[in-house]
Amino acid sequence: MNTTGELTLNMLKEKFQVTEMRVESPNRVWARIAPDKILAIAKFLSNELEFDHLSSIAGADYGEALEAVYQITAYSHGIVLTLKAKVPKSNPVIDSLTPVYWNAAWYEREAYELLGISFRGNPNLAPLVLPAEMMGEYPLRKDYKGYPNPT
Amino acid sequence: MGEVEGAGSETAKVRPIQKIIDAHVTFTTTSAIHDFLKKTPLQDLINWGRKNSLWFLTQPMGCCGIEMICTGAPHYDTDRFGIIPRCSPRQADVMIISGYITKKYMPALKLLWDQMPEPKWVICMGDCSISGGPFWESYSTIINTEKYFPVDIYIPGCPPRPEQLIQGFVELQKKITAKQDRTQKGDT
Ligand code: SF4
Repeated sequence: MNTTGELTLNMLKEKFQVTEMRVESPNRVWARIAPDKILAIAKFLSNELEFDHLSSIAGADYGEALEAVYQITAYSHGIVLTLKAKVPKSNPVIDSLTPVYWNAAWYEREAYELLGISFRGNPNLAPLVLPAEMMGEYPLRKDYKGYPNPT
Repeated sequence: MGEVEGAGSETAKVRPIQKIIDAHVTFTTTSAIHDFLKKTPLQDLINWGRKNSLWFLTQPMGCCGIEMICTGAPHYDTDRFGIIPRCSPRQADVMIISGYITKKYMPALKLLWDQMPEPKWVICMGDCSISGGPFWESYSTIINTEKYFPVDIYIPGCPPRPEQLIQGFVELQKKITAKQDRTQKGDT
C-alpha cells in the first residue's frame, strides 16, 4: 500500500500532461498540471480512483501567474492529492469543478473574490466575503495597494 | 372688506393664547424637558437611576465576545451593579464593541447602534475595537472606531478578563455620576 500515492501520480502522468510532481510521503502527493485539463482530471479521479472529497481550493500569487491549488482526498484510501494549476494573471480563467464536486462552488467564489481567479462554469460567482465597495480589488494579490497606513 | 377686518382683529386676539400654547407644547417635548431637567438637581437622581441600570447589548463580534458573554453569566453576578445582558438593541443602554469591526459588518453595527434608544453609551472592549489589535494592517478591518461611535470607555486586553469589563462598567458609572460621559456632554 506504500506506493498508492505514487501509483496515482503515475496514472495521472500517463493519461494527462503533468509538468511537475512529487511524493511527499506515502499518502501525500502533489502534481502541477496544465490548467485546461483540470476538469478532465477531476472527472477521472472521482469516477475511477474513488477520490470523492474535495477538501479545499486555495490560491497563490506568483507575480505573472496566479495558481489554483486543489486538495482532493478520498475516504476509502486516504490519499491527499494536491493539484496545482497556474493561470496567467492577464487572463486568469480556469474550468470550474462544480460538475464533479458540488462544494467547489464555495471555494471558487472565495478564490474569485480574493485573488481574481475566474472559474468558467461556476453557476454563481456571487459576492461572498468582501463588502460591496471592495469588490474587484482582489486583496490577496501581491500587488494589492489598499492596506491602511495610518503612520 | 368688513369681513376681512373682522377676521384680522380675531387673529390679533387669538395670538397671545397661541403663544402660550406654543410655549407649552415646546416645553412638553421630551428634549425640552430633558434640557430643563439637566439644569436642576433632579438630574443627579436620574443619573443615579441610569447608572444602576446599564443594560448591555449581547452582540459578540470576536473572541472578546466570549468574555463578554460569560461576564453576563451567573458566576460574575453583574446584576449587583444593575448590569444585565439584553438581546435586543431596543432594550439596551450600552453597546460593547467586543472585537474586530470588519468593513462588511460596519453597516449592521451602525444599524444596531441607531436602534438603541437614548441615552446610550459605547464601551470598546479589547485591542481590536480600540485600534485594530492583531488585525491592525488588514484590508478588511476598521481601525478608528472613535470616528464612528462616541466611545466612553476603552478596555485594553486581548481579551480583557470579565473582571476588567466589570471595572469598565464601574468607570462608566462614575462618569455618569460626574456628568462627564459623552451623552451628557453632548459630544456625540
Ligand atoms: S482583542 Fe484579541 S481577544 Fe479581542 S477580539 Fe481582538 S483578537 Fe480577539
